[in-house]
Amino acid sequence: MLRVCGLSLRYPNGKLALSDFALTVEAGELVVVLGGNGSGKSTLLKCITRTLKPSAGEVWLGDTNLCALEGEKLRRARLELAMIWQHASLVGRRSVLTNVATGALGRHFTLRTVFGRLPRCELEAARGLLGDVGLANLAEQRASTLSGGQAQRVAIARSLAQRPRVLLADEPVASLDPEASEEIMRLLQRLARSERLAVLCVLHQVELAYSYADRVIGIRGGCIAFDLPRGEVSREAVRGLYMSEAA
Amino acid sequence: MSLVARQQADASRAAGGWGGAITIAIRFVLILLGIAVAIQTFIVVEARPQDLITGIHGMADLIWRAIPPDFSKLPAAFWPTLQTVDIALFGTLVGIIIALPLALLAAANMTPSRVAYYAARAIIGFTRAVPDLVWALLFVTAVGLGPFPGGLALGVHSVGMLGRLFAETIEQMDMAPIQALQLTGARRLQVFSHGIIPIILPSLLGISLYRLDENIRSSLVLGFVGAGGIGFQLLTAMNLFQYQEVSLLLIIIFIVVLTAERISAALRERLA
Repeated sequence: MLRVCGLSLRYPNGKLALSDFALTVEAGELVVVLGGNGSGKSTLLKCITRTLKPSAGEVWLGDTNLCALEGEKLRRARLELAMIWQHASLVGRRSVLTNVATGALGRHFTLRTVFGRLPRCELEAARGLLGDVGLANLAEQRASTLSGGQAQRVAIARSLAQRPRVLLADEPVASLDPEASEEIMRLLQRLARSERLAVLCVLHQVELAYSYADRVIGIRGGCIAFDLPRGEVSREAVRGLYMSEAA
Repeated sequence: MSLVARQQADASRAAGGWGGAITIAIRFVLILLGIAVAIQTFIVVEARPQDLITGIHGMADLIWRAIPPDFSKLPAAFWPTLQTVDIALFGTLVGIIIALPLALLAAANMTPSRVAYYAARAIIGFTRAVPDLVWALLFVTAVGLGPFPGGLALGVHSVGMLGRLFAETIEQMDMAPIQALQLTGARRLQVFSHGIIPIILPSLLGISLYRLDENIRSSLVLGFVGAGGIGFQLLTAMNLFQYQEVSLLLIIIFIVVLTAERISAALRERLA
């Protein structure tokens, strides 16, 4: 489903942020990326979404190489790629339902949507998605009134409104308490299974990776340190990711 | 204490003493400078407090002649009052309509190009730098006397004032929801209407209401240069020594300004 081959990124100052990176995430699979600060985890996701343009390599979404696309073609291809962040990034003054439905904007370019309205069918679909993430009762509430865990679940519902095949998550539980973190990880795992989504999730919480990931990728200094099924990842290997480069 | 340590302590005390003396001297010079600046303002404005005391009977006479206000002129004051409020409303609306797109170009995080950014900043800077009274004189020359040049003057000046504040609001907004919308595949216009507008709208409305409040005050003065409204009527009444009408008009102005200020403040509070 998502295939990354030989991905490299060199910043203008000469620093190599990613080097010959390769990974695959299949439909229905939850893959967790672990690594220390500055190891290149977030850079990897930015290169996959093409927020950053890689210096070399390919990002395949099904049969489409995102690195070969620009402009409108890239926008269309990217519709199948949803993203959630550490912070839910919702529009606080709009309702929860509207926030979810905005995930579908990419499929509707009509006069109605340009003037701030949303298609009725997408609002109905958004109500269903809110039910899926367990927040149907909060549909009409302002997004700014939600707790961190609730807001993150709304962000996930918004990403599902996009009808993606791949879901990228950049530290989605970094600002949540342990209980809310478990909830979000359970939800991502369930969505991967039930919706056949390919989920690539960057985490700092090693225990969550051990509990929910199908596969764990360790990243250090912009390179892959290991790419193993959850059961084969040793504690030593994980510790190695967080040791300073000098050690 | 060893000899060397004692010498070092003496040296540092001596340095501290000099430092303290210099600080006191600098403060003394600054205070003297402050007093000198205050004194020169009295000289430059040719302040003569004694004239104020000797001339107070002239002011008292004027106030005496203005009492009681001539309420029979109330119906005739209605139209100029409405003109004054509408000049301000017209100016604010024109200002908002032109300032919003300009502000998008003049906001560093939204502008499509550096050329557009500097061009928008230049327009905003110029319209703001020229006072509304000067704009009114220019427009009176162009379109003649009446409320229209007043509305135009306030509109153009508001472009500068609103444009700058709008641009600053846009630059300071939380960009995370905007980036999230962009990544869902939404087009620029959709990101604008579903992301940017809902985020900045309360601030923009608050700024616009404040501007309307300011414009009502300005539109009173614009009448003095022939740009219509109650200011023009006030000037005419003063020139004709109709002081009882002047006092009525001043009461109306006070009520209009105070009402506008309270409504604007109440609405801004609701939007916050």
